[in-house]
Amino acid sequence: MSEHVLQARGLTRRFGGVVAVREVDLEIGQGERRAVLGPNGAGKSSLFNLLAGADTPTAGSIELFGTDVTALGARQRTRMGLSRTFQTSRLLGGLTVEDNLYLAAIGVSGGRFRLLRGSRDAEARKRAVRVAESVGMTDRLGEPAGELSHGEQRQLEIGLALVAEPRLLLLDEPAAGLSRAERQLLTALLLGLERDVTLLIIEHDMDVALTVAERVTMMYEGAVIVEGTPAEIRSNQRVHDLYLGRAHV
Amino acid sequence: MASQQVTTRRIAPGLKARIAPTLAVVLGALGLLGVLWQAFGAGFGEKGNVPTFILITLNGLTLAGLLFITASGLTLIFGLLRVTNLAHGALFLLGGYLGLTFIQKGVPWLLAALLAMLATGVVGLVMHQLFLRWNQGQDLRQALITIALSLILADQMLAHFGATPTAIVPPDFLASPTNLGVYSLAYPTFRLAMLVGALVVGLLFWLVIKRTRVGMVMRAGVDDSAMTSALGINVQLVFAGAFFVGSALAGLGGVFAGTSYSLAPGQDQAFLVYALVVVILGGMGSLGGAALGALLYGLVDQYSSAYLPAAYANLSALLTFVLLALVLAVRPTGLFGKTR
Amino acid sequence: MNEGWMSRALSLGGRGALAVVLAVVALVPVLCSTFFTSQVGLTSLSLGIVAVSLTFLSGYGGMVSLAQTALFGVAGLITAKLTVDAGWNGWVAALVGVLAATAVGVLFGAISSGSVGIYFLVITLAFAEITYFFFAAVPTFGAHEGINQAKPPAPLGDPVLHPSAMYYFMLVVSVLVFLGLRYVSRTAFGLALQGVRDDPVRMAALGYNVRLHRTLGFALAAPVAGIAGVLSTWSNTRISAGSISLAVAILVLTAAVIGGLNKLAGAWVGAFVYTICDTYMRGWTDRFATYLGVVFLVIVLVSPGGIVGVLTSAGTWLRRRVGAGDVPGAGTSGRPGPLAEPATPVPVTGGQSA
Ligand SMILES: Nc1ncnc2c1ncn2[C@@H]1O[C@H](COP(=O)(O)OP(=O)(O)OP(=O)(O)O)[C@@H](O)[C@H]1O
Ligand SMILES: [Mg+2]
Repeated sequence: MSEHVLQARGLTRRFGGVVAVREVDLEIGQGERRAVLGPNGAGKSSLFNLLAGADTPTAGSIELFGTDVTALGARQRTRMGLSRTFQTSRLLGGLTVEDNLYLAAIGVSGGRFRLLRGSRDAEARKRAVRVAESVGMTDRLGEPAGELSHGEQRQLEIGLALVAEPRLLLLDEPAAGLSRAERQLLTALLLGLERDVTLLIIEHDMDVALTVAERVTMMYEGAVIVEGTPAEIRSNQRVHDLYLGRAHV
Repeated sequence: MASQQVTTRRIAPGLKARIAPTLAVVLGALGLLGVLWQAFGAGFGEKGNVPTFILITLNGLTLAGLLFITASGLTLIFGLLRVTNLAHGALFLLGGYLGLTFIQKGVPWLLAALLAMLATGVVGLVMHQLFLRWNQGQDLRQALITIALSLILADQMLAHFGATPTAIVPPDFLASPTNLGVYSLAYPTFRLAMLVGALVVGLLFWLVIKRTRVGMVMRAGVDDSAMTSALGINVQLVFAGAFFVGSALAGLGGVFAGTSYSLAPGQDQAFLVYALVVVILGGMGSLGGAALGALLYGLVDQYSSAYLPAAYANLSALLTFVLLALVLAVRPTGLFGKTR
Repeated sequence: MNEGWMSRALSLGGRGALAVVLAVVALVPVLCSTFFTSQVGLTSLSLGIVAVSLTFLSGYGGMVSLAQTALFGVAGLITAKLTVDAGWNGWVAALVGVLAATAVGVLFGAISSGSVGIYFLVITLAFAEITYFFFAAVPTFGAHEGINQAKPPAPLGDPVLHPSAMYYFMLVVSVLVFLGLRYVSRTAFGLALQGVRDDPVRMAALGYNVRLHRTLGFALAAPVAGIAGVLSTWSNTRISAGSISLAVAILVLTAAVIGGLNKLAGAWVGAFVYTICDTYMRGWTDRFATYLGVVFLVIVLVSPGGIVGVLTSAGTWLRRRVGAGDVPGAGTSGRPGPLAEPATPVPVTGGQSA
């Protein structure tokens, strides 16, 4: 097995004339905390979609836990231990918070086609409740996901990724639209993640991103322009010109 | 839809992706060979089957013309508004009946056809403004609304025009058959005119699509927000115009059908289904696709009812749907549909 | 608390009303004429069952299908063929018919599972047409004539002259179908189907095979439509290609929409309302179809939840009004926030279901 949890080579994605992702090479080691930064439209979410299998690359290959997964879909990659959140929440709006989490649990553990309710559900339900607690949603378990507030939706979005107990977690702007207090909670949650979980996070909020991450990948116009420690990124002139120099949230 | 494709595309594995097209092509080729063998197997003489073949081919082509005129309206509305107008068949029949009424009042055929087009266009426009405009984007709800409207329209037409099949008398200058010049064959001139009409409609469309910004939007098949920026503030005007023109084309199809075939209750649903098959065959929203779909449909329909072995002749109505299934098995979004 | 008492009384009232309705439904053969029992009772029960197979697909799977009548026809025609021409035992024939409908349903479901929304509607319309033309063309199934004298098995009696046995049988089947589908909706499979309805991309990201779930959902609704086909064949003692024409497919959709496309009970409500209008309104108007279309249109425009949706929101509204009247400024259930607002109508797809 390769020592890398995730390895992408020459990853490219074109949308008509737009090159959203341009020959990206990426190597993420076991237990690493990596942030992906870049201005709007840099191609961060497009890269995530390729890595998670929600989209197919125009060129390039992806290796996950040592296996080539370029031809596999989101479903298979999730079963291998990858979980992701979406930049705009994608929740199962007609189902309750608990059912959302429950479905996320059995999505990887089996029993998706069960037509009988029984004791075997109990374990998955327990896991759902436990994760609801860790993202602070215990009192909203019975609420339909479609009726949650924005902040709660973001929390549930992360919860859905966590229930699967992933080995690789991809978070797309988890702090977007959260209040200050909620951001601090989120940061604490991420810092508290066990080391056997590898974390890849897109974040505009520098406080969150640079607190959590040990390495940073900087993207611009689809390509990776710099990679380094937060300190290196902070002092990089090009990054300043492109990104940090601009007014930002 | 866009997101849906992501999951769909991957599931078609390589093997299936190759078997289905091969099977479809082989079946199509076999069918065509069968037709050609029956047509030319007995030689090219007067006694052979070639004269019948020519007539059947012309039947297929002129039917294709009618189908194209009808389906182009449907695909225009879908291409711009993403609305599947399931009342298209009702508008088609309404156009036919209105044309008939005008002609019975003494209006010349051409003028009557024009008036019928205008009137159907206005009915379609009113439908859009009253019921569909504020539901933009809720495609299923819009489809249900148009189904309800088609039920009402069909019943009202039954009340006003009765259940007896009636036909429109063709204009004088198209009334007598045209001599084809081969095998001393003659063919109804009006049906040929129908084919010409389809070509004219197709040409006008082609010009609009190639030359205007509206056409560009239709080709790109973009979503609402992108369209707003491409067309400026006039999106609603363009939508209304598309609905007017699309409905008017349904009306024109009705007048043509009433003149070359007949008008009767039930034709609305029949032609709605034909138009839907044609449009899906070609790819929803694609005009070239509608033309090709109409051609395939017209020819398969006519050849199968003429050349299928007698024992299976009653299955010919099925065959166009088998064609549809074959095409969709190979290309889920139709021949020219965008794989978005 | 006063307020709690009032709301409990109201919910008790709701349950009471439901009990009265059920009692009346159960007593139809006793209270009503043979004509009513057979013409309205049997017809609305079989229409209700085929409609609920659509309601299940649309409410829980987000799939508005026009192919349910095709599956209805496959089961009905095969059952009729086997009993009338081959002399099979009625129950065995029915079982074979329903299994055949399920097999066809798996096929239809697999082909259409890649499409959503309006594309799905149009593809299932094509299925309905293919099935119709097939049965209309094939002499084995009587072509347009259909198959007559398809009597139900002996214990169910004569559905025309003495319909009560048939009526109770169909009522029991209806209740079982309702309970069964409601149960399924709360199982892992049913919840996942609703997940696929809400967001297929999210479900794929959670590890689900979206197309497989859609196909299986379709396959699960198929025997329900098939059972309706068998019951309808038995209660009319005949079935033909005309029983599954596009017009009938649209009628089933109409009944389901009128009742409410996202509540299981709506199927039977819509079927009953449709059948009763069909039976009695034609007497005093020739424009029955126009009125039907107008009702359909109004419901889609004003209350996508159908009659059941209107009743549910009315009940909720009433409960809130009473609650708010008793204790000013307080909601009924003690939960905070948006409860004070009037219920928003449930969209045609999505939303909570029965
Ligand atoms: N489905 C698509 N079709 C066409 N173009 C797309 C599509 N998705 C993304 N793009 C384009 O690709 C580029 C990269 O977009 P992407 O969403 O990946 O950026 P991002 O870095 O995530 O930006 P943000 O910070 O705003 O989320 C943009 O120019 C965008 O317009
Ligand atoms: Mg992004």
